[in-house]
Amino acid sequence: MRAQHMKAMVPGAITIALGLVLWQAISLFFLPIFFPGPIDLVRTMVEIYGDPSSWPIVGATLVRIAEGFAASMFVGCIMGLVMGLKRNLEIFFDSWIMVLLTFPAICWAFLSVLWFGLSGVAPVLTIFLIVVPFVVMNIWQGTKAVEKNLLEMGRAYKADRSLMLRKVLIPQLMPYIFSAFRIALSLSWKIALVGEAFGVGSGVGQQLIYWFQDTRVDMMLAWGMSFMIVMTLIDLLVFRLWERHSFAWRRQLAV
Amino acid sequence: MRETMTANGAAVTGAAARAAVTVSNMTKRFPAPGGGDKFVVLENISLAVEEGEFATIVGPSGCGKSTLLNVIAGIETCDAGSVAVAPREGRKDAPRIGYVFQSPRLLNWLTVEGNIHFVLEAQNVPRPLWQERVSRHLEMVGLAGQQRNYPLNLSGGMQQRVAIARALAIEPDILLMDEPFSHLDAITARKMRFDLMEILARARPTILFVTHDLAEAVFLSDHIYLMTTKPARIFKRVKIDVARPRKPEDAAVFDLEKALVREFFSVIEAGA
Amino acid sequence: MNGRARGFLLRASSIVLMIALWWVAALLMHDNEVLPGPAAIAHTIASDFVTPGPQGHLAYFHIGITLARIFATFVTSMLLGIGIGLTMGLSRTVERSLLVFIPLLLTLPSILMVFVAIMWFGFDEIGGLVAVLVIVAPYVAVNIHEGAKAMDPSLAEMAMTFKARKTLLIGKVYLPQLTPYIFSAFRYGFGQTWKIVALAETFGLKFGIGYMFSFWFEQFDMSQVLAWIIMFVVLMLILEHGVFARLESRAFAWRAPIAQ
Repeated sequence: MRAQHMKAMVPGAITIALGLVLWQAISLFFLPIFFPGPIDLVRTMVEIYGDPSSWPIVGATLVRIAEGFAASMFVGCIMGLVMGLKRNLEIFFDSWIMVLLTFPAICWAFLSVLWFGLSGVAPVLTIFLIVVPFVVMNIWQGTKAVEKNLLEMGRAYKADRSLMLRKVLIPQLMPYIFSAFRIALSLSWKIALVGEAFGVGSGVGQQLIYWFQDTRVDMMLAWGMSFMIVMTLIDLLVFRLWERHSFAWRRQLAV
Repeated sequence: MRETMTANGAAVTGAAARAAVTVSNMTKRFPAPGGGDKFVVLENISLAVEEGEFATIVGPSGCGKSTLLNVIAGIETCDAGSVAVAPREGRKDAPRIGYVFQSPRLLNWLTVEGNIHFVLEAQNVPRPLWQERVSRHLEMVGLAGQQRNYPLNLSGGMQQRVAIARALAIEPDILLMDEPFSHLDAITARKMRFDLMEILARARPTILFVTHDLAEAVFLSDHIYLMTTKPARIFKRVKIDVARPRKPEDAAVFDLEKALVREFFSVIEAGA
Repeated sequence: MNGRARGFLLRASSIVLMIALWWVAALLMHDNEVLPGPAAIAHTIASDFVTPGPQGHLAYFHIGITLARIFATFVTSMLLGIGIGLTMGLSRTVERSLLVFIPLLLTLPSILMVFVAIMWFGFDEIGGLVAVLVIVAPYVAVNIHEGAKAMDPSLAEMAMTFKARKTLLIGKVYLPQLTPYIFSAFRYGFGQTWKIVALAETFGLKFGIGYMFSFWFEQFDMSQVLAWIIMFVVLMLILEHGVFARLESRAFAWRAPIAQ
């Protein structure tokens, strides 16, 4: 089994290796600041993260992501729950959700900066406004999938609202909360970069536009891809752990 | 074998018998799916179940029996008439109603004991009493020691037993059972019926049982209410006077069942 | 009041509430000129269609350019994505080779790709095209790949026993089975495309709606910025919910009706 698994990975590994070699070869024809090869890129990334003055920059972005993400999860879960349980509110708000889903991040970024200036609030607001509808859609979908039978059982035994929420509703919503969490996180960091690109003074997004205007592709790629790696690691760490911990009650299927 | 017949199924009870569940001229309508006029599911239903009695409602599937139980349990409201549920003799607070559904309706993410704790909490039973209630009632249904197990690891019959233990753990005044054995295979169902009789011999709540199976009804009940299809009406109340413990193969039980089957079909054919 | 009338009333009142809130907020912030009200914006939008803006163009010009860019880049990405996805579905080697790159491409932030594409391919249409291709085609490919794996192989076998030409096979056997996947890739891909085009126009491309955002933003003309944003969002709403909803029902006419 293991050997078969390894064998299946060979074409992929070959492609990656070939790709890297090709990349390095092409890069020799260009200036490193314009088209860095993999080796140059990795070296630049190490330089950036080795320099302590880079850390507050990354930190600022992480804080904004956390704030926007937390706010949108909180509001989104509540709204999704409310919309799922009360049909009237569902119909009322779904046009708002539709508009929010259509609004591009760049537009909110412009508006936030115009309203709140070049401060840290603007990117956080942008993240919130883009991510909230996604969370609402997920949770709302989850409430539609809640088993009416179990709600009836709870009501037959006269369980009060808090007990129903804690023991009957929310456990059924967990997979949807989980998937909302993942989508929210993966969106939040990308939007943070867009929001920060308006020169809010600090953060990874601001680095991107700075080096863009300086025509330094190498620095742009280094900052951008290294941050991508950081966020992927966070995603893996948080979610693999959470997934393993909370879904233990499912029937163990013999494989 | 005696029968007590009345015109519309209204109870004629003996003196000093206390009615635990009283339904008077209850009518229930459902809105039609297309948004048109409501159609009548239950029409002018009346019944009275005495305290400690085992009453069964028998009717074909889909005739509104579950709806009747739901109204009695308070999950749904009725459009006309009334439903009254009284607690046991000597108690004044709200009656405790236990409900066993056709499917176990367990919370699969909680352990067996977690499921029972859920209803104990819902019914405001003080926490120190919980552990004893759980172990006593699990033992009663033959699942001693299963507290920490998860429902999905149990068979269908075992899950249904947990549901029964859950209903009994609140020490209900009224026990409602909606075709609880219909999803089980014949052998398991038969065993569960015997076990149910044994369990109930110890603590006699008032029981309102619903089934489409006349044989099951005759085996289990003190009284049977016969019900027709939409709109559902109760057309007969029959007293089962066979001594307990009963055996399904008993001649008395068998004969009574045959008579009731004949009666049932004549009514259905007349109505259709 | 029956269900449909109630639904319509609720939706209408929620939109009215949105506009009312905007109007109230605009009144409250009047001295800052930070939030023009609905009336002012409506006026600005109207004037953009009759008064030549910077570089002497009316609003139609910029809208047209943006739509053309969206259309061109989207169609190219869909074709490329379908081609790659189908090939991945039909050939295990191709699948295994390319599968590793997909997660990478899907995680790349669009703003980075827009910047890089513009720097490498210039502040013109090629840059925009590359940015969209790199982001949208992988997503489409993943969807089509899923669909290709789910195709019924016996139908292809049947076609081949009748010696069907490649084009016939693809056109009449493969593609109809892939329509639901193509459609779901279509809707999401379209949404992504116009957002990336907006980004590209804001940061580099000349003319177009995004270019107008950037221009008026630098002039601190809040009124114009809002006007162009609203024009853009309304246009996209009409496209996404008006046009595509109709196309969807036509594309699926051959499927068995689902019981109501």
